[in-house]
Amino acid sequence: MSKNLVELVRRTHAVRAPTALEVLKAAIDDHGEITDDDRRAASAASGLPEAAVYGVSTFYDDLLVARGERHVRVCTGTACFAATGDAHVDELRDALGLALGQRRADGSLSLGETVCLGFCHSSPAVRDGDVVDAGADVIERVLAGATRAAPEPDWVSALPRPVLTEPGDWSGLERALAEHTPESLLEEVRAATVRGRGGAGFPAGDKWGFARASPGAQKFIVANGDEGDPGSYIDKYLMERNPALVLEGMALAGYAVGADHGFVLCRSEYPLSKPSLEAAVDEARAAGLLGEDIRGSGFSFDITILEGAGSYVVGEETALLACVEGLRGTVSARPPFPAQSGLYGLPTVVNNTETLANIPFVAREGAQAYRDLSPGATPGSKLVCFNERFARPGVYEVRFGTPIRELCDELAGGMRDGHQLRAMQIGGPLAGILPGSLIDTRFDLDDLVAVGCMVGHGGIVAFDERTDMRALARHLLHFGTSESCGKCFPCRIGLRRAYEMFSGPEPVDRTRLEELLEALELGSLCAHGGGMPAPIRSLLTHFADELGLRA
Amino acid sequence: MKVTIDGHDVEVEAGATVLEAVRAAGGWVPTLCFDERQAPFGACRVCLVGAAGARGPIPACTTPCRDGLEIDTADERARRVAKAVVELVLSELPVPPAPHTELATVARSLGVEDVRWPGATHRVDHDERHPYLAFQHELCISCGRCVRACDEVQGAFALTATGRGFTANVTAGLDAGFRDSTCVSCGACADTCPTDAITEITLL
Repeated sequence: MSKNLVELVRRTHAVRAPTALEVLKAAIDDHGEITDDDRRAASAASGLPEAAVYGVSTFYDDLLVARGERHVRVCTGTACFAATGDAHVDELRDALGLALGQRRADGSLSLGETVCLGFCHSSPAVRDGDVVDAGADVIERVLAGATRAAPEPDWVSALPRPVLTEPGDWSGLERALAEHTPESLLEEVRAATVRGRGGAGFPAGDKWGFARASPGAQKFIVANGDEGDPGSYIDKYLMERNPALVLEGMALAGYAVGADHGFVLCRSEYPLSKPSLEAAVDEARAAGLLGEDIRGSGFSFDITILEGAGSYVVGEETALLACVEGLRGTVSARPPFPAQSGLYGLPTVVNNTETLANIPFVAREGAQAYRDLSPGATPGSKLVCFNERFARPGVYEVRFGTPIRELCDELAGGMRDGHQLRAMQIGGPLAGILPGSLIDTRFDLDDLVAVGCMVGHGGIVAFDERTDMRALARHLLHFGTSESCGKCFPCRIGLRRAYEMFSGPEPVDRTRLEELLEALELGSLCAHGGGMPAPIRSLLTHFADELGLRA
Repeated sequence: MKVTIDGHDVEVEAGATVLEAVRAAGGWVPTLCFDERQAPFGACRVCLVGAAGARGPIPACTTPCRDGLEIDTADERARRVAKAVVELVLSELPVPPAPHTELATVARSLGVEDVRWPGATHRVDHDERHPYLAFQHELCISCGRCVRACDEVQGAFALTATGRGFTANVTAGLDAGFRDSTCVSCGACADTCPTDAITEITLL
């Protein structure tokens, strides 16, 4: 990332100006498209040069499609694919007579694509303006102009005493301020072994320790709420149903690390997240739990809520920080790590929202109680969510180490309507695919890695007997190539070529495919290009005869 | 600190990158997005090398040295991936790069002969509105060198990366050509371009 551009933004940010991305988002929300005047205004307001603003305006999905008076976005996430094989997309496109990304000449209607709306429990899903509707009859309602907000199931904790699904009450922060020094809180989090919940599983205490040890008077906490995994709506529930718990976790991180400001970057695909987080910030400020000199402790901490604009790779931490700064959401090589040089070049902790939601329990109950939540497995509890192919889809809080069969059958009720489970993708698009035959694997970090899969962020997408495995490979690679940030060459070109191999009628040359997967795995700059081969490798291992490979 | 490059020991300053150490040892690894006048970018992945104890190849340009590091510039997997990446890069161009360009030179050095990837190529788009600078967008490989030259060397900020994924490219100003941008016609972009996507128009 350009140090000069970051410095230009930082100088302007010091007077609380909006970022270029915020100005561009407001422009397209206001008048449906982005003009050069909007770009000039964004440049003037943010301090970014005009060319750099132009670059931002061509990067994010939300800024690319000119909107009609009515703007309909169809979800093309993996849960929607599992539900219909993408028939819902074809049906909507044909009935409206619009291609994806097209606006009617009279400006009355436009059709866009979005991945994913987080209504994977009721796929397929469609967003009509800011209303997200979902379910088997959703296309009929869209065509009749009768969309309604789809209901979302309650979340359920399988723990005797819920940790993540109980409303946050800030008692962890109160206790930490009364009984912990920043150093002792950091030690408690280290002792608890809180593993990052965004997918990589990095110990949060170590990350905090690096940021605390980095020199600098100003440090930041950034909550990664950019839950882009298709099929996952865990952070959505946290940000919309329990935002106080996430904010409390951020304040605790700030106390331990020596940061006085935090940012949450939530997703524009979840229109309810930002208002919910902002209301929780207001409430906490009014209660004296955010702001100056919290509870007379001398510790000050405040939080700003920002929203992305449609990009999967922005979930990667360096791209996330670029998005917070209002720049193109491309990945930067590490080192330096954000803990040394993050937001505006200053030491920054980037934690997933669910990781942060674990911290209040550690602060309140201590490391040992936290480790006891999942005996003999990764400490703490985990939120998982299930797609619409299950009988009782929803978000569940579970113990690490639970057999996947128990999660699927006892919590989610098995497959719906007598369908047969063929395979599952657990943990997002960069995770391997678990065939139904391995359902007795334990749900834990090492156990899933041993079978070529991962816990990832905890979304569980089941595919039933109707799924065309070659179409699944094409679906995943379409996502991969569409979401590549375009920075590193293997991902930018390689994912396009992999998608092309599966998109025509020709048989796939397995040797060439495996050469390509190796280049992606070993050559890519971040986990997007490096991880997209994982599900393709699983399909090659378990479903080779269904992929249309060259004999 | 001391690092070992292909069996030869070399002393480097703290903070030196593996690429700097390789060069200090008189070795060579191919690069496409690297320009020693600019901060390392880490985009092309052509400078991958083997490192003892590492799980896989590491990019030489963005990896800092640590004492005792052992580097193998001929590591088989690293060279195989670099070659595959250069073949991918050639496959996105509608025409082969001119033989004198850095891209063509690197392709020859890695032994990339055939491009076996059919599929999409960049759309031919020539911008010749500026009197001295011509831009053939279809030859752009998004290495970012021109954008960084304009930012880090010249400070004109006239160029930007555009789009994303396979459609990524570069443009000047608000995509209205060099002339209607903050370009000062210094030519640093053309000088660093490894494919001749940006060239200086010579009148002589």
